[in-house]
Amino acid sequence: MSKNRLLAAMLAVCAAGMVMLGVFDPATSGVFPPCPVHYLTGWYCPGCGSLRAIHQLLHGELRAALALNPLTVVLLPFLTYGLASFALFEIRGRGLPQPFLRAGWIRALGAAIILFGIVRNLPLHPFELLVPGAKLGL
Amino acid sequence: MFCSQCGANNADTAVVCTQCGRNLQAVTPTNPLQPTPLQPTGVVLPPGTTVQNYLVFAILTTVFCCLPTGIPAIIYAAQVNGKLQAGDVAGAQIASRNAKMWCLISLGLGIGCIALYAILIMVGVLSGIHQNR
Repeated sequence: MSKNRLLAAMLAVCAAGMVMLGVFDPATSGVFPPCPVHYLTGWYCPGCGSLRAIHQLLHGELRAALALNPLTVVLLPFLTYGLASFALFEIRGRGLPQPFLRAGWIRALGAAIILFGIVRNLPLHPFELLVPGAKLGL
Repeated sequence: MFCSQCGANNADTAVVCTQCGRNLQAVTPTNPLQPTPLQPTGVVLPPGTTVQNYLVFAILTTVFCCLPTGIPAIIYAAQVNGKLQAGDVAGAQIASRNAKMWCLISLGLGIGCIALYAILIMVGVLSGIHQNR
């Protein structure tokens, strides 16, 4: 029972977060905390711009979302599927069908995330387009 | 042998299904006429159990909470699946526990950051009220 309550609480937090993200733009309002990595070091982390990207997606602006954080936009459907599977597993004891990922693929994904974090900090021409919002001139 | 969950064809010696990760060991019918083969070392899971790798949560904390502590969680998630592939269920469970631990560390740090930010905002608002008086 307490597990169900925890799940309900998590779903409620997710839903509340989505509504907040839809109403307030993280780019202009101070409702959302800044990225701690960017705040402390000045570097962009792989996730910088993800909240702004989701805000833009909730408003149907796919191009703006891609300009803010392409990695988030690409990973979002898979994460949503994974979370839905997790929630269903807790509710009915069986998740959605999930392919078994080979270890190499997961390592490659981890490497891709780290590489994205490095590359978007490089002050070279094609890479600086990966800075959150660079293509929008934000 | 074919996986009883997803039907994928696996090697006869496979411990887990390479397609869905289901434990194949405990569901393999043993031939009573032959001497029972040596049990593989490690814990034999009940049929149908999968070892959770927490990959979704690892990615969530890395990409959405901007936390570098999600990286070890991803590495341990890869280790879980790698050990399952190799048939090392016990090792996979250890890696699974480590992945979970790093996810929880990330979650705690994330909540800590948000709480700190909320406190800073509150202090800012209060001092703003104070100055206006």
